[in-house]
Amino acid sequence: MGLLILNGLANGLIVGGIYALVGVSLTLLYGVLRVVNFAHGEFVIAGSFLAFALFSGLGVPPLLALPVAAIAFFAAGWALYYVLIPRLALSDDPELMSFLMFYGVSIAAAALMLLLFGADSRSIDDTFSPVSVPLGPIYVSTARLVALGITAVLSLALAWFLFRTLPGKALRAAIMNREAIQIMGVDIVRLSAFAFALATALAGVTGVLIALVFPAFNPFSGAEYTIIAFIVVVLGGLGNPMGALLAGVIYGLAEQMATVFLPQAMAQIVGFAILIGTIFFRPSGILGTRSRR
Amino acid sequence: MALSSRTLEPADRIYFMLAALIGGVLLVYFALVPFLGGNIAFHFYLMLWITMASAFNVAAGFAGYLPFGYVAFYGVGAFTTAILVKKAAVPIFLALPLAGVAGLVLALLFAPTLRLSGIYFGIVNLALAGVCRLTITNLPDWLTGGSFGLQLGSRAEPVHSFYVMMAVMVAALATILWLARSRLGKALRATRDDPDAADMMGVNVPRIRLYGWLISAAFPAICGGVEAWYTNVVDTETAFNTLTTAKTVIYAVAGGLGTVTGPVVGAVAMVWLDELIWRRFPLLNLLILGVATVALVLFLPRGIVGTLLRRKPQWRRYVP
Amino acid sequence: MNVAIETRALAKRFGGLVALDGVDLKVAAGETLGIIGVNGAGKTTLMNCICGLYRPDAGDVFVAGEQVTGQPPHVVAHRGVGRTFQVPRVFRKMSLIDNLLVPVLDRRASDAELIGRAEAMLERMRLIELRHNHAEELSGGQQKLLEMARMLMPDPSIILLDEPFAGVHPLLCKFMIDRIEEMARAGKAVLLISHDLTSIYRLSARVVALNQGRIIAEGGVDAIRDNPAVIEAYLGM
Repeated sequence: MGLLILNGLANGLIVGGIYALVGVSLTLLYGVLRVVNFAHGEFVIAGSFLAFALFSGLGVPPLLALPVAAIAFFAAGWALYYVLIPRLALSDDPELMSFLMFYGVSIAAAALMLLLFGADSRSIDDTFSPVSVPLGPIYVSTARLVALGITAVLSLALAWFLFRTLPGKALRAAIMNREAIQIMGVDIVRLSAFAFALATALAGVTGVLIALVFPAFNPFSGAEYTIIAFIVVVLGGLGNPMGALLAGVIYGLAEQMATVFLPQAMAQIVGFAILIGTIFFRPSGILGTRSRR
Repeated sequence: MALSSRTLEPADRIYFMLAALIGGVLLVYFALVPFLGGNIAFHFYLMLWITMASAFNVAAGFAGYLPFGYVAFYGVGAFTTAILVKKAAVPIFLALPLAGVAGLVLALLFAPTLRLSGIYFGIVNLALAGVCRLTITNLPDWLTGGSFGLQLGSRAEPVHSFYVMMAVMVAALATILWLARSRLGKALRATRDDPDAADMMGVNVPRIRLYGWLISAAFPAICGGVEAWYTNVVDTETAFNTLTTAKTVIYAVAGGLGTVTGPVVGAVAMVWLDELIWRRFPLLNLLILGVATVALVLFLPRGIVGTLLRRKPQWRRYVP
Repeated sequence: MNVAIETRALAKRFGGLVALDGVDLKVAAGETLGIIGVNGAGKTTLMNCICGLYRPDAGDVFVAGEQVTGQPPHVVAHRGVGRTFQVPRVFRKMSLIDNLLVPVLDRRASDAELIGRAEAMLERMRLIELRHNHAEELSGGQQKLLEMARMLMPDPSIILLDEPFAGVHPLLCKFMIDRIEEMARAGKAVLLISHDLTSIYRLSARVVALNQGRIIAEGGVDAIRDNPAVIEAYLGM
């Protein structure tokens, strides 16, 4: 039992890191743009498929796919922003309509991946040597440890960016008050496009990491990650990046521990229970003080 | 006779004549499909989507909620019908109303979420639909048939289920036509536009919302039951398919929320388009559905009927 | 004096901020009580506590001698309390007629009778031509009139007006002042919030000055105008 718990903790930390990244990009997007990206999970899985295509087509290992995904997704996000968002802002209730629009984007993205890669589950058979590393009494796969390391570095870099650089501070200011920052002379359109691109790039990179950590993915895995992203975002407080990072780790741990103690199916319900419970009892999230909108 | 207490204004007369005309055309058209050798499957699903989109309109267009887990009602209705027919040997004509009751019970269980609004409501509803699917998946296999699903084995005549679907559609449309003119409908719209102001104007907001929510929940549950009867099989993958919610939402929005005709027009246009695309490009179907949704939100956010009424506000009084 | 509405030691705080701190008020039927105070003095909070939107932390509200503290707004509304809002809160996507029907939906009267009353009310507020328009298509001033018409539909005995003249054209102000005088003459108790003193002086014989959630002065119009505490609150900060 003790070993199982240790295993659960280790896996929880690794999976939680991934969830933190999935959540932080979605929460950035919501915070700055006030749009709800229902297609976030599909963006993430598209990153996994990019890593898969690079590996099986050109033999590029996943670690090298990371910068490729970052650049490609950043560019795609930038372009997608100008196609979708300015027009969306004209509608009666942009926040709610964004939910619906990205619903369409998620269907289209899943269908596109289905057309390109088929419905089969895919995985990347790139192995590190050694395959696993002893960590005290338990063994953890090297790929997972590498992913954990990258997650930690990315999170720290993101925190540094948001709190120590000028564009990062502008983003945080935009999350707090979109109107005020425009009066201060910030070009909100460029900033929003940047936030969209950054969030998309993070999603793509997370997708590559998912290809390392999880055994398989298929074009319809996106929906799962969208739900996970929502859970993490709500738990961390809508539009709160640091909250999302923390919430991701907490949720990852909770989920992995639940698989230790509960039957598989019940473990899945735990996530939904956390989501619903948070919205009802602590709508501003674990770190938040903002009241429910 | 009943209307004599209040003389009908000319505008009202046109309104009801239009409603009768549209309803009559739909009725005669669908009633004749089996006789004229029409495509029963296509028209069955057309009626199903008209019903789903119209009932969704009560939640979204009248009450102002976007239930992104709308499929929960459909799936629970399908399983209720299948289990009752298969395991309890309940006759189908009793099982279908009971499926509606199951939808109402589920709606009552979800009622506490009505105090949420906007995206919070949408996300929680989505999560609740997931909980419903997982719960039914985890019921014992002897009850739900496990991953193979349940065969109803009632050997239904497609024509019978076709006409039952038609009756359900007519009931849904009649309910919504009534709602649009009723005091309940006005109270619902007021709570949608400004719940606090409606409360201070004497509207019992929680109760009114619950009524709207119940109406919106009963019909998809019955639809799930009728479809289960029609296809003769129910399994969790198809009964709780998120695409059911997606199509319902898209069709309703395509026509225009908040009007009686909107979801009907939207469902007819989109199902027909879907069929056309599906026949020509079966692989691209899903992709086009997604792109169409995006285009809809960007270029026609008020839907077909909604945009028309935006351009011609003076027609609002005449169009049901 | 026939007290229509009364508050006793009403208190409300938001976190550390004290919005109301023991407010005692009485308004008689047929009287128009003016409430003045700078922004943040607690005027709107007072109104929200009376009509049930906020639950006060302490104190009580009585409508015609009966306690209504903590009752939900629709219950308070049924006791005969009507109100308007600082920023008009009309039902945007409903016609003017339907807007007016909302407060009387649970009356026994027939639809035709209610619609007739709504049309008469719109006539009085000079909005009859627009009766089939959606409320969002009205100008800001017209929305204020619509709110007033909607409030009057159930014939309330107590009327809470929150800054009715804010941002309204002077000509329309005159029209609204006349309507408010009519309400008081019809025996309604009117609670009128404004931070604009001149309009209050025209309508109210008695005025209460709020500052930081407390009543700092109460009395006749002239006495309030010369009260040092009021002058201090208005000019001293």
